Amino acid sequence: MPVISPHAFAPSAANDLAAGVPLGLREKVRRLERAHSAQRGGRAASVALGMPAIDALLPEGGLLTGALHEIEAGPAPSGRVASHDGAALGFAGHIVGRFARQAGGTILWCRRPTGTFDAPPYAPTLSAWFDPARVLMVTAQRDADLFWAMEEGLRCPGIAVVLGETRAADPTAGRRLSLAAEKSGIPALLLRTQPAPPQSVCATRWRIASAPSHSTPGLSDVGAARWRLELRRNRFGTPSAAEIPSWLVEWNDETHCLSVVSQTLDGSSSAYWPESDTARLVG
Amino acid sequence: MWHDGCPRLAAVNGHARAAGLRPHMRLADARALLPDLVTTAGEPQADRRLIETLANWCDRYTPWVAIDPLGSAIAEEGTEACSAGGFGGDAGLLLDVTGCTHLFGTGEAGERALLTDLTQRLSRHDFSCRAAMADTAGAAWALARFAERQTDLFCPRHGQRAALATLPVEGLRLDAPILETFLKLGLRRIGDLYPMPRAPLARRFGDQPLARLDQALGTLAEPIEPRRPPPAFRTRLAFAEPIGRPEDIAAATSRLLAALCRQFEQAGVGARKLEIALYRVDGSVDRTSIGTSRPNRDNPKLMKLFEEKLGELDAGFGVELMILGAPEVEAWDGTQDALPDQNAPAVPAGIDGTIDLADRLALRLGTANVVRLLPRDSHLPERVQVAVSVGTKPAATGAWARVAGLKGARPTRLLQRPEPVDVMAPVPDDPPRHFSWRQHKHRIVRAEGPERIADEWWRPRPDGSRPPAGGVPLVRDYYRVEDDDGGRFWLFRDGAYKVAANGQPTARWFLHGFCA
Repeated sequence: MPVISPHAFAPSAANDLAAGVPLGLREKVRRLERAHSAQRGGRAASVALGMPAIDALLPEGGLLTGALHEIEAGPAPSGRVASHDGAALGFAGHIVGRFARQAGGTILWCRRPTGTFDAPPYAPTLSAWFDPARVLMVTAQRDADLFWAMEEGLRCPGIAVVLGETRAADPTAGRRLSLAAEKSGIPALLLRTQPAPPQSVCATRWRIASAPSHSTPGLSDVGAARWRLELRRNRFGTPSAAEIPSWLVEWNDETHCLSVVSQTLDGSSSAYWPESDTARLVG
Repeated sequence: MWHDGCPRLAAVNGHARAAGLRPHMRLADARALLPDLVTTAGEPQADRRLIETLANWCDRYTPWVAIDPLGSAIAEEGTEACSAGGFGGDAGLLLDVTGCTHLFGTGEAGERALLTDLTQRLSRHDFSCRAAMADTAGAAWALARFAERQTDLFCPRHGQRAALATLPVEGLRLDAPILETFLKLGLRRIGDLYPMPRAPLARRFGDQPLARLDQALGTLAEPIEPRRPPPAFRTRLAFAEPIGRPEDIAAATSRLLAALCRQFEQAGVGARKLEIALYRVDGSVDRTSIGTSRPNRDNPKLMKLFEEKLGELDAGFGVELMILGAPEVEAWDGTQDALPDQNAPAVPAGIDGTIDLADRLALRLGTANVVRLLPRDSHLPERVQVAVSVGTKPAATGAWARVAGLKGARPTRLLQRPEPVDVMAPVPDDPPRHFSWRQHKHRIVRAEGPERIADEWWRPRPDGSRPPAGGVPLVRDYYRVEDDDGGRFWLFRDGAYKVAANGQPTARWFLHGFCA
């Protein structure tokens, strides 16, 4: 397995300040912060999302492996709460696929059924991102059991990535999952249908809402899936210009890649870009 | 005592029997014989439960424990079975202790020690009991009930012919009419039957007396049917002093497990299911079991599974004996494979542990809640995905991609049952303009479809019926729609439009999934 050392990452433009600091010192600071070490258990420290604009903001050029990442379904652009998290699940599937490609093994998918309107993930669609044959699907009736199953998975070396689907987040559980992920180097994902309280512990928190797709000119067909992506928490990452960095991304079903849609070319308004000149640390 | 037109005796104690009372006697007759008779109401169900508890308790000596079919007739509602041998109500247990006596001593000494241990322990619990040991179940049955001297209760090897000769003919477990005739003919002892010519006896009384005699003497096999299938592998650990602390029980379990794993290794098998039984000092038994998804004989891993379950066990006033058995074993293939991976670097064998993880999860959450997904060739979207147990062979690499490639665009989440929605469609064959679901109205901006998916007429429906051969099969027209917020949904129209009574076309619409 190729080990990606800190040397492999050329400092990005936004990282200029940190470039002068010796690597040993940076690693020491990271350890003090209990963040992560550059290599752990034969796994690379991070996995790129495949979108350079977003990866530049993330530590080590991608999502850290030994950490907890939260994905929540956000309200639609009109402010209305979406009735489903199909888009958030799609983004989670993309991340799971990225992690699963980097590390072999089983994908542990833990979910808690939502009652009458239960809609489980549909494996044929998920096969666009990863092979569902690798999934171990676990159903828990209580949140306590769900978090326990995730923690057990995070301790098992044969697991590539652990994903948990639940409604609300429990800060204690988030902390425990973070610690377990840090210890083993296995990435943990939490997919939530409800926004979290801001104090919850995680390395990154994403809020996903579906966005109108782009039809073929002259027709009104459904185009490639587009999501409004917000990076609401970015621990150890590079501060961005915006308070909450936000992108419009498009999933290409044929090339199987996610790309940032340029706002100006798309012709849509720039309402999603809060004007802010002051750089602020998020997280 | 129970009622069969009139109150009758169900069981009698030793004094009553000496006075000439017998079970199944009318109470009035009994009172005539013994005016100061003390009776209590019979409780057949409670008797049955008690004898089952005792049978559980006897598992400490051997896994082959059966409730005597004649004695257990006390629990039956009818009184007929009770008349067998005239001794209904004397509940009995049959224990096959072959190969179990070495735990108490070598050879005959061990057999005697087991018998003494059994009677002493039962008397300590205030049961009056008589236990006899013989080569055959029939001989032991007769000896336990009719032996006159205490020393006769133990019948040495091949000694049943001599031991039975002096016993009354009731000891043969005969039906009441045959027994009565025997007594009338003056055949009072079992030994009286030995010199009788067999053929006339069989012609006169049928097969039963000879069969019972042969069974008692050991010339005809009489298998004992155990109450629960005896495990092929079993270890036991008895304690000089009762133990009760959870740590002690865990330590004992680990010792038992180590011994059992050695047995597995010699036999080349692995356990699929293990059961641990705690025999408490008050005579009750507590059991718990663990299951693994593939044959396992790895001591630490099995112990880890047990640790989850040991907390549920209740030591009560103390545990004097623990037995660990493996009711289900399978040939061990020697590998603990990982779940398959595609193009990723292989994880070194042995450190994987996904299967152990699945076992741990299944133990707490239930086997049905830890599954793997298999694709199935079907046109109906809800039939494509099948959940199977973890032990099943996983889908081949790329099988899922092939299934997905054959179909059109599919949602990321599929509702377990399609939800009816209200729609507003201007033209019958067009996608709707609006639909409302769960009191939310969605204005549809973009739509794709229809994709027609027809019923699989060659397959029986879930309710067992087949679609009518001449009728129109159920078809669904699927549309992928996007509302003004960008939310993408998967809707379908059930069947073709029909014309309602008022002349308006009607159709039922359903929401079936949510797209990415």
